[in-house]
Amino acid sequence: MLKEYRIALRNSGLINPESIEEFIAADGYQALRKALRSEPLGIYEEIYESGLRGRGGAGFSTGAKEKAAAVICSDCDKYVICNADEGEPGTFKDRVIMETDPHTLIEGMTIAAYSIGAHRGFIYIRGEYELSIRRLTLAIEQAYQHGFLGNNILGSGFNFDLEIRRGAGSYLCGEELTLIESVEGKRGYPRIKPPYPAEKGLWGSPTLINNVETLANFPQIILNGAKWYRSIGTENSPGTKIFTISGDVVNPGYYEYPMGITLRELIFDVAGGIKNNKPFGTALLGGAAGTFAAENQLDVQMSYDKLKEVGLTLGSGAVIVLDSTRNVNQTMLSILKFFKHESCGKCIPCRIGTTQLYETLANELKSPTFNPNKVYRELVWQAELMARTSLCPLGQSPVLPLKSLHDNLMALLTASNA
Amino acid sequence: MGKVSIYIDDREVMAEQGANLLHEARKNGINIPGLCYHPKLTPTGACRLCLVKVEGQRGMVASCTLAVKEGMHVTAFDQELEDTRRFLLDYLISEQNIDYDNTYPDELRELMFRYGLHLPQNRFFKPVKPHAEFKVDSSSPVLTYDPSKCIKCFRCIKACDEVQGKNVLSFYERGLASYIVAGMGVWGESECDGCGECIQLCPTGAIVEKPNRNIINLSKVERRVRTTCPYCGVGCQIELLVQNGRIVRSNGVEGVLPNDGRLCVKGRFGYEFVHSPERLTKPLIRKNDVFVEATWDEALSLIATKFGELIQKYGPDALAGYASAKCTNEDNYIFQKFVRTVFGTNNIDYCTRLCHASTVTAMLRSIGDGAGSNSIQDFETTDCLVVTGNNIIETHPVTATYVKRGAARGMKIIVIDPKWTPLVSYATLWLQPRLGTDVALLNGMVREIIANNWVDHDFIQNRIDGGMQSFLELKNLVDKYTPEHTESITGVSADKIKEAARIYATAKTAMVATGMGMSQQVTGTHNVFSLLNMILITGKIGKERCGIDPPRGQNNVQGATDVGCHPGMYPGYIPVSNDENRRRVAGVWNVPFDSLSAKPGLTTVEIMQAAYDGKIKGLYIMGENPMISDPNLNHTEEALKKLEFLVVQDIFHTETTRFAHVILPASAWAEKNGTFVNSDRRVLRVRKAIECPGEAREDWKIIHELAGRMGKPMPVYADESEIFDELAKVTPIMAGISHARIEEHGIQWPCPTPEHPGTSTLYIDRFNTPSGKARLYPVDHVDQTEHATPEYPFILNSGRILYHYHTGTMSRRNKPLTDFTNAHYVIMHPNDAVKNGIKPNTKVRITSARGSLDTYVRIADEVLEGELFMPWHFTEAQVNRLTRDELDPYSRIAPFKISAVRVEAID
Repeated sequence: MLKEYRIALRNSGLINPESIEEFIAADGYQALRKALRSEPLGIYEEIYESGLRGRGGAGFSTGAKEKAAAVICSDCDKYVICNADEGEPGTFKDRVIMETDPHTLIEGMTIAAYSIGAHRGFIYIRGEYELSIRRLTLAIEQAYQHGFLGNNILGSGFNFDLEIRRGAGSYLCGEELTLIESVEGKRGYPRIKPPYPAEKGLWGSPTLINNVETLANFPQIILNGAKWYRSIGTENSPGTKIFTISGDVVNPGYYEYPMGITLRELIFDVAGGIKNNKPFGTALLGGAAGTFAAENQLDVQMSYDKLKEVGLTLGSGAVIVLDSTRNVNQTMLSILKFFKHESCGKCIPCRIGTTQLYETLANELKSPTFNPNKVYRELVWQAELMARTSLCPLGQSPVLPLKSLHDNLMALLTASNA
Repeated sequence: MGKVSIYIDDREVMAEQGANLLHEARKNGINIPGLCYHPKLTPTGACRLCLVKVEGQRGMVASCTLAVKEGMHVTAFDQELEDTRRFLLDYLISEQNIDYDNTYPDELRELMFRYGLHLPQNRFFKPVKPHAEFKVDSSSPVLTYDPSKCIKCFRCIKACDEVQGKNVLSFYERGLASYIVAGMGVWGESECDGCGECIQLCPTGAIVEKPNRNIINLSKVERRVRTTCPYCGVGCQIELLVQNGRIVRSNGVEGVLPNDGRLCVKGRFGYEFVHSPERLTKPLIRKNDVFVEATWDEALSLIATKFGELIQKYGPDALAGYASAKCTNEDNYIFQKFVRTVFGTNNIDYCTRLCHASTVTAMLRSIGDGAGSNSIQDFETTDCLVVTGNNIIETHPVTATYVKRGAARGMKIIVIDPKWTPLVSYATLWLQPRLGTDVALLNGMVREIIANNWVDHDFIQNRIDGGMQSFLELKNLVDKYTPEHTESITGVSADKIKEAARIYATAKTAMVATGMGMSQQVTGTHNVFSLLNMILITGKIGKERCGIDPPRGQNNVQGATDVGCHPGMYPGYIPVSNDENRRRVAGVWNVPFDSLSAKPGLTTVEIMQAAYDGKIKGLYIMGENPMISDPNLNHTEEALKKLEFLVVQDIFHTETTRFAHVILPASAWAEKNGTFVNSDRRVLRVRKAIECPGEAREDWKIIHELAGRMGKPMPVYADESEIFDELAKVTPIMAGISHARIEEHGIQWPCPTPEHPGTSTLYIDRFNTPSGKARLYPVDHVDQTEHATPEYPFILNSGRILYHYHTGTMSRRNKPLTDFTNAHYVIMHPNDAVKNGIKPNTKVRITSARGSLDTYVRIADEVLEGELFMPWHFTEAQVNRLTRDELDPYSRIAPFKISAVRVEAID
C-alpha cells in the first residue's frame, strides 16, 4: 500500500487549527526563526534550489519568481499575495490547508515576504470559504500577539503586516493579475501581461504572488533544506502534491503524495477504485481548465513534465473520475457553460468564443445526426484560435478539455451520445 | 527616447523608442486594424484585432500592448494574421447589432467592409445572444447608450476615468451579457455631467449625442470647421459640423493644445444658441420707448450723429465704451482703437474689471505680467497645486481634467475655499476659511513657512527686489499670524494651516490657481499680494511647473486686455500716460500724437458710477450685459437710465438692451474669423462656420463703418488677418504672431519675433518688472467693511455652476444645458436651516441694504454656518441686486463675494 507523504498537510488533523500553541509545539515558526537569521538571498536561493514549482496549476518555478521580485529593487514598496481564491472545479486542497493548519500558510508567507523585502501581504480568499476565513483571521490575530507578524518580528527588525481580502465569487479572480486588480478594489479584469507581478503588481509595485499550497511548502524547505526536498518526487517536479480526487471513486478526498505517483495508483489504490465496480471511463485532470485522460494513459506519472509529454496537465491537482457510463458530452457541455459563465467579457475571443463553443455543442447534441468527430474538430479549431488570441488564461483554457477529448476519447464521445 | 529603426513587414520604419507599437505603425501609414486602442488612453488589449508577430516572441501579440524596441522585426500582415483578424471580427459581428443610420462614425463598420464581412455569406458564425434584452438608456439629457451596438472596448470607461477623471462609467453584468452603466445604472441619475468624452471616443455609435440626432447625416455634412470654444477661458479647440447652414455637432480636436480633444458639456452642447429664433437680426431704434426696426444706414447715422453731438457738447471724456470678453481680439482691438481715436478718450474697459482685475493688478506690480505663468499641461505634472477661491471643475472643466489626471498620479492638491467644490473630493487638504479672511490665512501660511525655514534663500537673494531686506519686512509683518491667531480669524484649524504650508513649501514644484473667490473682494489686490508673497519666498515661480495661474473666466477675457481694452494701457500692456508710448502707437495708427488722450480712463464700475453722477453721457456697449454682471444693479439701472445715449451691440436682447437707444445686431462666435487668447496666453484661431442671421454683422465691421461715419476712418482691412497684423505691430508681446502661424497650433505670448516659438513658462530668466526682479508686498489682514449684523445676519457668496455661463445670454438658450439645470437657488447650511425653520425648496426673500430677490433654498453643508451661496446666472434671481459697488482701491473691482443679507421665508 502506498503511503502518504505530508509536507503541506504536515499538521493537518494532528493539531487544533485554532491553537497557535499546538502549532508552535509542532515546530511551528521554527522555519521563520531560521529564515530571519539568514540573508534574504539565502532564502530565495534555497527555494530556487529546491525546485518547488507553483502549485496553483501553472507550475512555474517558485524560486525564480521570488528571486525576480527580490532583486528588482531595494528601497521600494513590495507585496506578497497568497492566492487562496480556490475556484477550479474539483479542487479543494487550499481549503484543507487553511482550515486545518492556517499558521503554516502564515509562516510561509512571512518567510516569502522576508526573502523579497516586502512589508505588507494579502491573503485573497475565495469568499465562500467561511471556515478558512474564520480560522485564518484568528491565526493572524494570534501571530500578531506572538510577534510572528507586525513590527520587529522575533526581534529581527523585520516588519510584516498581513491582511485578508475576500473574493466575491469570480473564477477569473484566481488569475493572478485579475486577483491583483481585485485586491486594489477594482473589478476583476485581467491585465495585459507583461509586465508580470514581480515587476509591476499590486499598486504598480513588485509583487510575489503564490498559491496556498506553494507557500505551505516553504517552512519545511527552509527547515530541512533544498536537498531534502529534491529527494522527494521526480527530478523535474520535486516534492509532494496534494491531489483532490472526486467523482466515481470509492474514497474521494484529498491526498498528499510525492510527485511521480501514477494516475492508476491514485485512482485505484489511493481512492479505492471506481465506485460500484463499474469500468473506468475517463479522469479529468486539473479541473475545468484541465484535460481528459483515457484508460490507456492511466500509467502516466503525475508530474508536470510527464503529463505534458502525453498531452495532459497536472493543473491544481484535481482528479475528477468518471465511470464509463457517464455522458462525457454532457460533462464537456457543463465545462463550456462554466467558461461562458465565468468569461469576464474583456476580450473578444473569450467573451464570444465561450458562448459560440457552448451554443455550438448544445445545438449539435440535440441534432439527430450528431457527429462527434466533425463537431469536436470544429470546436477544437475555434478553441485553438481563441487560445492563441485571448488576453488571459481563461480564454486559453477551453481548448484543453476539448482537444484531449477529441484526441483521446472519441470512442467514449460516440458511445456517450448513442 | 528618440527615433529608432524598426522593421514592419520588411519595411524600415522610424519609430519612437518605447512608444506604442500600434500607434507608431499607424503613424507610418501601416494601418493595422484595431477597435479598443485610442492614442489618448492606456492600452486595453481587448479587441485583439491588432495582433502581430514579433521576431523572437512566440505566437501572436497585440501590438497595442507592445513598446517599440530598436531593431524589432514585426509582421503586421500575412495570411494567418489576416485570417485570425477576420475570425475575430466575425466573432464580434455575431454579437452585434450592425444597423447603421449615418449619424455617427463607425469604426467597426469600416472594418466589416475591409474584411468583406458586410456580406452575410462571408460570415461563419451564427448570431449569439438572440434572447438578450438590451434596453437603450436615453435618460441622459445629452446622449443615448445602445448596448446592442456596444463592443465593450472600454474606450468610454477610460475616456471618463483617464481622460476626464470623472469615473462615472463601468460595466454591469459579465461576459456576453455585460453592458455599460453610468453611476448606479441610470445615466440621467448618475454623476455624469455630460462632457461627452465617451461619445467622442466610442468607435461604434453605442453612445451618441441626442441633439440633432434626427437631423444629422454624416454624408450630408458640408463643412467641418475648426475653431475655438466660446465659453470659458480654457480655449478648447472644437470642430463644428455644418449641415444645411446649421451647426449640427461639436467635437473636440484631438492632438492639439490646450484640450487634446477634451471638452466640457458647454463646449460640446452649448452651440444651439447661435440658431435661436431670438437672435437679433435687424438694427433697432428706440422711438417713444418702443424698439422699431431700422436699416443699418439709419441706425449708424443716428449713432454717429448722437455720439458726435455728445463729444461736441461735453468733450470726449463724457463718452465711454465697454468692450467684450466674448469678442475676438480683432473686434476688441478695433473697438479700443475706436474709443481712443474716434471718441478720443481712454474710457474703455470691460468685464475683466469684475473678475480678475485685482489679480492682474497685483501680478503686474509684483511680477510684471497679468497672465498665467504656466501652461495648461503643467496642471497635470506639477507636484503640488493650490487652488484658492476657484471652483475649477465647474468653471474651467477642461483645465480641471489635467488637475484630476495629476491627482491620479499623486499630485498633492490643496483647496482653499469657503465653499465646498467638487475638487475637494480629489484634494489632499481642504481649508475652509470664513469669507473675507484670505490675507490672514495666507499670512499664517507664510509665517509657518518662515518659521520652518522652508524659504528659498537663493531666490530671495537673487530674484526679489531688496533681497533679504524685503524678506525681513515681510517676516516682521507676518510674525503675529501664528497658527493659533490665524485660526481665530479664519476658522481654519492651526493644524491644517501648518500642514498646507508644509505641503506647498516642501513640494519640488508647485503651482497656484487663483480665482474669483480671491479677487472679487474689496481686499482683492491684497489677497493676491499675500498669495504672491508665499509663492515668492518659497521660490515657486520662474521655473517650469511653478507659478501662479488665474484661470480666466471668458473665452477672450485675456485677449481683450492684451489688445488694449484697458483704460490705462494700450495693446500689450503699454501705459497710455507715457509720451513715448503714445507717439509710437499714434505712428502705427497714423493719427496725430496729441489726438490720443494721455489721461487714463475710467474703469467698468467707475464708468457706471460716473454715468449715475451725470459725468458719462454716452456709452457704447459691445457684447456685455452689465444689468446682470455689474454689482449693485439697482444703482446700475439708475445709471443706465441717466445716459443720454446708449448703444448696445449684441446677439440677443439682454437685460441691458432695454435701456439702449439703439440696438445693433452682431455676430456670434461661429459667424466670424479672428483670434482669442486663452488662460495660458495661447493665441488661438477662431473661424467662421456659418453666416450671420438676417442682417446681423461682424462686430469689427460695424465699428469700422461707424468710425468712417464719425469722420475718423480707419484703414481698409481686407480681412481679420490684416487687423491682426496691425495689432501685432502695436503689441510687442504678440509681434511675432500672425494668423498664418497659428493655423494648426496656437502660440503662447510673449512671442516677440516671427521665429520665436512662444513662451510656455514666464519669468524663467527675469520678471517683467523694470528691475527684472519681483517685489514682495507685505499686507495685513483688515476686517471686511461689510459684516453680518442683526438686521442682515448672513454673508452671501456668489459664483458659477458648470451648466451655465455668466449672464446666461448664451448658455440658457441651449436645451441640453437647461435640461441639466435651469433653476436658481441659494445654498444654506443645515444648522442655519434648522435655526430658521427653513425646509428644502422653501421660497425665500433675500434682502441686502441694496435690494432683494426671491429664490429657493437648497440645504447643504457646502457652506459654513452664517454663510450662503448663490449662482448668479439667473435673471429671475439677480444676485447683483444684492451686491455692493464699493471698490478695491487698487484694481477697482467690486466685492461680489461678500454681501450681508437676511433671509425670510415667503409663501
